[in-house]
Amino acid sequence: MSDEPTGFLYPFIESEERDSTSLLVELTGSARGKMADSRTLRVAMLERWHDDLVRAGTAMADRFRRGGRLLAFGNGGSATDAEGTVDLFRRPPNGRPLAALSLVDDRAVLTALANDVGFELVFSRQIIAHAGVDDIAVGFSTSGDSVNVLRGLEEAARRGLLTLGLCGYAGGAMAASTSIAHCLVVASESVHRIQEAQNALTLRLWEMVQQDLDAVMTA
Amino acid sequence: MTVVEAPSTTEHAAAEDLASAALSLARRFAAGATMWCIAPQWPAHGRHVAVEFVHPVIVGKRALPAVHIEGLDTIAAVRLLARPGDVLLAVSAVDDPATAELLSRAEAWGMTRIWLGAGARPTSGRAEHVVWLDGADPTLASRSGDMVLLYHLLWELTHVVFEHRGLLEPEAECTDAVCVTCSDEGRVAEVRSVHSDGLVEVMVNGTYETIDASLVDRVEPGDLLLVHAGVALTTLEVLPQ
Repeated sequence: MSDEPTGFLYPFIESEERDSTSLLVELTGSARGKMADSRTLRVAMLERWHDDLVRAGTAMADRFRRGGRLLAFGNGGSATDAEGTVDLFRRPPNGRPLAALSLVDDRAVLTALANDVGFELVFSRQIIAHAGVDDIAVGFSTSGDSVNVLRGLEEAARRGLLTLGLCGYAGGAMAASTSIAHCLVVASESVHRIQEAQNALTLRLWEMVQQDLDAVMTA
Repeated sequence: MTVVEAPSTTEHAAAEDLASAALSLARRFAAGATMWCIAPQWPAHGRHVAVEFVHPVIVGKRALPAVHIEGLDTIAAVRLLARPGDVLLAVSAVDDPATAELLSRAEAWGMTRIWLGAGARPTSGRAEHVVWLDGADPTLASRSGDMVLLYHLLWELTHVVFEHRGLLEPEAECTDAVCVTCSDEGRVAEVRSVHSDGLVEVMVNGTYETIDASLVDRVEPGDLLLVHAGVALTTLEVLPQ
């Protein structure tokens, strides 16, 4: 089979196109290319951030050992990644369930804060209400510029929490922030590929934490 | 470490399945459908896929109606909300009972079913489009970026299809004498009400029909039946074995 584009066989005007065969070939090729891109980026980011993941995992395990909890937040798709991360820590496929809380779950709290004090404070106000000194704050923002995520991490740092930021592109304001102890930047221009790589990084963090807790328990 | 191992052969198949799912999905949206999203084991994925379609990351792409449904009344809610021709998008492992039940019922409701998942693959016929990462541990795949990749690509490909306006028309009616779809095989029906004379009102492919259920014992509202030529042949298990 040739890999030649087949478009030249169908010289139709676009709106009169009726045979989906060549489009399906195009879509399948596009999906395969992006799957490969996604995998390459995830492998590259796990390598790029390996040392930081080890350090962050150890620091997180220390916090959990002292009774700390993980507090996660983000906007839109990143809100669901925060929620998914919390779910992984709290309800893991194996290993220890760990205390984790998503700050995007309660619509009463979110809408009250957004309506009364502004959307940029929806996470920092919850940090003020909930955070203990042994807790861990994890903020997700593909641009690295989400103001409410930055404010949440700044408030968390002021209160002595361990702070982690996951972002994309060149890291935006999060990469420049002195409030984030571990800032993992996924160097990509695609929001989708960034989110996929952030999933891989947080899964690796979870593995690091579980391994650290295991090692100390059995030492 | 096993986080990002490449299941390349299964990915190759998944890419092809995504392409045909995207073509169907774009056609359904073009015809006015809403996509109802469920992910009972991983509600975060249900929310994520819905927000992708409603609020596209690429400026200028059209907002499409997708809604995540969760909670104890998920099945009743989709039954009430979905119209014939709508799409059910499920994200789950093969053994999730709520997903299995919704997929079974959605056939009677006249929905097009797209099922994204990982791990052991479902048996055939449980959804119009099954996009699966075979062999991967479902829970780890759900957090490794693999699952989110599947619905990111479904979104991207669906928008590519929108650029081919001529292909958004529904496929031509099948007139082939041996076509399996149009042949008189049994169809799945959901019982809506039971009359005293052995007749029951059912929903089949999104429309109400009155059929003869006298061959089947103890029919109750909510039961699924296999119907052929206006007669219920047997009760179907809501949860496929």
